[in-house]
Parts: sequence; C-alpha cells; structure tokens
Amino acid sequence: MTDILIIILGTTMLYVSSVSRIEAYVKTLAAQGFLLFLLVLVGVKEMSWLNVAFLVFETLLVKTIVIPYFLLTVIRRNETPREVEPFISQFYSLLLASGIFVFGFIAAFWAARTGSNIKPLYFGISIGMMMLSLFLIVNRKRIITHILCYMMLENGIFLLSLSVANKLPMLVNIGVLLDLFVAIYLFAIFFNKINEIYDGSHVDVLTELKD
Amino acid sequence: MVALVLIVPLVFGLISFVLKNKFVNRVALLGSASLFVLVALMVWLGIDWTWLPAWLLMYFKFDSIGLFFFAVMSIVFAGVSVYSLSYFREHNLSAHHESVYILEILAFVVAMAGVILATNLALLWVFVEATTLTSALLIYFEKKKSSLEATWKYIFICSVGIALAFVGIITLSMGSESIGSLFFSDLYRHAKQINPVWLKLSFAFLFVGLGTKVGVAPIHAWLPDAHSEAPSPVSALLSGTLLNSAFLGILRVQDILVLAGQQAFTNVILLLTGFLSLLVSAVYMLRVKNYKRMLAYSSVENMGIMFIGVGLGQPGLFAAMLQTLAHSFSKTSLFLTSGNIFQRYGTKKIEDVRGLLKRDPVTGWIWIVSFLSIIGIPPFPIFISKFFIIRAFWVNGQGWLALLFFLFMVVVTFGMGNAVFRMTFGDSDTESTGSVKLALSAYLPQIVLLAALVIAGINMPNFMNEMLSKAAAFISRGPTSIVKIAGK
Repeated sequence: MTDILIIILGTTMLYVSSVSRIEAYVKTLAAQGFLLFLLVLVGVKEMSWLNVAFLVFETLLVKTIVIPYFLLTVIRRNETPREVEPFISQFYSLLLASGIFVFGFIAAFWAARTGSNIKPLYFGISIGMMMLSLFLIVNRKRIITHILCYMMLENGIFLLSLSVANKLPMLVNIGVLLDLFVAIYLFAIFFNKINEIYDGSHVDVLTELKD
Repeated sequence: MVALVLIVPLVFGLISFVLKNKFVNRVALLGSASLFVLVALMVWLGIDWTWLPAWLLMYFKFDSIGLFFFAVMSIVFAGVSVYSLSYFREHNLSAHHESVYILEILAFVVAMAGVILATNLALLWVFVEATTLTSALLIYFEKKKSSLEATWKYIFICSVGIALAFVGIITLSMGSESIGSLFFSDLYRHAKQINPVWLKLSFAFLFVGLGTKVGVAPIHAWLPDAHSEAPSPVSALLSGTLLNSAFLGILRVQDILVLAGQQAFTNVILLLTGFLSLLVSAVYMLRVKNYKRMLAYSSVENMGIMFIGVGLGQPGLFAAMLQTLAHSFSKTSLFLTSGNIFQRYGTKKIEDVRGLLKRDPVTGWIWIVSFLSIIGIPPFPIFISKFFIIRAFWVNGQGWLALLFFLFMVVVTFGMGNAVFRMTFGDSDTESTGSVKLALSAYLPQIVLLAALVIAGINMPNFMNEMLSKAAAFISRGPTSIVKIAGK
C-alpha cells in the first residue's frame, strides 16, 4: 500500500512537469498533501498518538486544504494569463523529469548499500521530487510557479522525513510547521506586492539590482 | 537568563506595537538592547537563574562559544539600537512606523538568539528559518521598488537553501539511528557511531543550507542585494550578527565531523568556499558602483576569511574567532556610517559622493577609520587575525595558499580603498541633503565600536582573550590555552 502511494506521489511530479496551466499545479499540490496524509495513516501504528494527531493536522489540514486554497485565491486575484511559461518546452521537461527520477533511484540503491536501513523507494522518490522541484523553479518564468514548486520541494522533504525512524521532538515539529506557514504567507504578500508595483509577475522584471 | 532574552524582547516589541507611543518605543528598543548586554555580562560572570520549566530549558543553553557569539550580537545590537534613534529622526518616522520597525527588529534579534542558544540541531534550523522570515520584513521596510526585488530574492533563495539544510538534518538522523537524538551533546558524545557516508552527505546539505545564510560564494547571490536595499541599521544587523549566527550553526555541525574523525573532509570544503568567496569579492570589489554593495562584498570576503580560519584547523581557530568579532564591529560601524552618507548625499552611487570630509568631517573620519579597521591596518585586531591565519598556513605547510590569500587581500584592499578615498576627499559639487547636523546617536555607536577595536588591537583585555580562547577551544575540543598576543 505504502509503495503504491509513493509511486502515485512520484507520478504527480511527472504530471506537473508536463502541464501548462497554473491551476493544475495547485490541484497537484493539494493531491500531494492528501497522498502524504494517506501515507501517514498507513504508517500509523509505528507512531505515538500525539505524533499522529500532529501529522494528520499538518498533512490533511495545512498541506491539502489551507495552503493550496490560499495560493489559489492569490492566483485568482493576480494572474491574468494562467500559463506557466517554461524556458524549456513541456516535452523536454518531462524527459528531464524522468531522467531525474532515474538518478534518484540510482542514488537510493547506492545509499541502501551503505548499510543504513533506508527504504530505496522512499528515498529515491523523495530525492527525485526535491530535485525536480528545484529544476521546475529554475525552468519556470512566473513567480507564482516558484512558490508552488517550493511547496513541492517541502513535500519531497516531508516524504523523506517520514522515512526516518526516530521522530523529531514535538517542539521542533511545531516550529518547522510554523516556519513553513509563515514562509508561504510572506511569499504571498511579497508576490502581491510585486504584482502591484511591477505590473507583471515574471522573474524578468526582477533584474534591477546587479553589478 | 534564556527566558529573558527569548521572551522579554518580544513582549517589549508587542507593547510598543500596541501603544504606538514614541517614548515607549525608545524604552522598548533601548531596554531590550541593554537587557541583551546585561544578560551576556551576567552569564559571563556566572550568574544564572531561571523560571522556565526544565523540559523547555534543555533546548537552550549558553556554552562558551554560544556566549561569545551572543556577546558580539548584543553589543552590535546595542549600537544599532542607538543609531536607530537617528534613523527615526532623519526619516521622520511616525510612532506607528517606529513601533513596526521595533517589533520586527526585536523578533529578528530573538530569532538570532534562538539560533545561538539552541542545543538541538533541528531547533537551530527552525530559528535560522525564523531569522529569514523576520528579517525579510525589515529589508522591505522602506517599501521601495528595488527593496522589493531584494527582499524577494532574499526570502526565496534563503528559504530554498534552508529547506536543503533540513534534508541534511534528515540524512543525519538516518545515519545516526543508534543515537536517536539530534541534541548536539548526544551527537558529539556518539559522533563515532554515525555512519560516515551519511555524516558527510548531511554535512554537504547543511553546509549549503546554512552557507546560503552565511553568504559565502557561490551561494551569496542574495547578500549584496539585501544588504544594499535594507535600511542602514538593518544592514548593520544583517552583516554584523545574522551572518555570524548562521556561521555558528556551521561550526556546531562541523564539530560533529571533527569528533567523528572527518576533519580532513570539512577542512577541504571550508577552505575551498573560503577562497572562492575571496575570489568573488575581489572581482566584484573592482567593479562595484554602489558603496553599500561594496560593503556587502566585503562581508562575503570576511566570511570567507572566517571559513579559511576554521578550515585551517587548530592553528587558525583563534584567528577565526577574532575575525568574527572584529568584522562584526567594523562592518556595523561601516554600515551605520553609510546611512549617514546616504543622508548627506541622497545617493548610494560611489561616483556621486565627493568631499565627504568637508561636508561632514566626523562621518568622513569614521568612514576612513572603519575602512582601515576592516582591511586590517594595525593597531586594529583584523591585522592580528589575518596575521595568525597566514601563520597558520605556514604551520600547516600550505605556504603557497598564504600567498594566494595575500594576493586576494591586496586586490580587495585596493578596490575598497579606491572607493573610500574617492568618496572622502575632494570637493563636492552637489547640494547637501538631510538635516544640517545629524544627532549624536548617528556617530556615537561607531566611535565606541572602533575605540573598543583599537583597545583590543593594542592591548587585548584578559577577559576578551579568555572568551575568544574558550570559544576556539570549544570548536577544537582541545584544552583552553590563552593565546599570547604580541605586546602582552
């Protein structure tokens, strides 16, 4: 069951690297949040109830509902053209995305040989998700896609952290979530500002400061 | 003590934010700054009391290196607070804007104190990200178009960097399953049990993440933009304290590798990024046209020097600590003075500033003296730290690197000196802007910081030497040996 969920999670990343509408990104983000929630449920018996409650709150409420909904309102308010405008075409993006996943798996099988009891599927997909998010950040012109891909990067990291046997202290968990939440909130504020002041939200407008 | 620095300033900030009264604002800002200095002093004297529950207290602690960084931060913050009074006056800020500024700056300083005092690696991460979020608002404080661009780059680059640092934390816990804790004390005690492959991998991630905040090349892209667009007191705080606190994070992580016997690996990385930072700052120093950006590149250079000091191992550690202190004080002085210059000329372009000594002699002289301090002209302590670093190259048998180091220093000094002297001498052909006479608070912090540096450089007080040596000994895990400095 876990394996299937993780594979679907990986597929969502392939999906975003091939679609062109920004709203599809937001929906994927919500779907990823929900898949992570299911993953938490599957692994529920290995954790304390406090941890489970917290993770359910984080995945179901924050990652699946609050952040995607919040970003969707921001997009509906600001973006007129709703295309992501990549630097490299969708087809090659998809090709590169597959390549990145292959790399992720090679890294995972290499890592499994070092003697640590890691799960190659967890590790490979999360490495792939992180690298692909970084690639998408670099490869998309619209600032809003940067925020969306940053969230996907966070999801990849979350997947990796789920595979760690020893859990972080609750204080740290709360701090991490709070940071993420404030970060997204600030991203949105500054994104709104950029839209207002620059009359557009391409990265190309942000080239005034240089030497 | 911990509660005092982590909670009281926030309460002060909130009170000033709610009341929006100019007098309350000043009490909140200066009160918090004095509190920081006082706490640093009391911890140094060994006085400690607390009313926090024990389970919370185990997450925060003053150790010898933490105390050193905290003391530096407190003094810089005190200077910045005093200077802020002049900033409020010159920019005619309303009580409301003042209180927003104060709340943001206090939240920022508390986040940095959290980074310095955290005893758990993951908690340190939480506070590093918190410093990004709180300082982003400060960088955008003047709400200009260019500061928006700088803020966006800052918050996005640093957030992605810090996200990667979290991967480092996860990989570290994968490699240290037998330890089952991310408290530094546990990691240090059982460092040898950590799987070396995972340890190295996690160091790479943590280094990239925290290094982004430190602003070393090649991950320094945000630094010149943010430093040049922030209000001058905020730039001073960024350069004098934020970079240090992230540097401390790297030192703490590096310590795990040292104890696990992987020092050769970290040293190579530290030396490589250190020299790359010197190269980048040397190249940009020759072509930079904005004096605040020039100071920012000088920060890249100085952080590079600190990395080199640590990368040289035992012989360079004391120098790295001294460099940390002296750079913080000198750069704070420079950035605060750059605020005065901006007040006088209304521009950040080097070529538009002429005849500073005639227009405002005090600012002009502080500008020159701070410059002499940052490049390490005797009697300033950076001379001693650079000298120690060059000596450490020899001790390690890497004399040819010392030559390269020296070459970069010459280029940086030439580039920066060129700009500084062009700005200070000659006649000005533009009208003066700003008030005729700046308040005393626009000069006092710089003068005090520079005076402290001169004293430290000529005859370093024992307590300072002891503090630096203890901090260096903490990193090297060796016994504290008070370093003999020339003239003592």
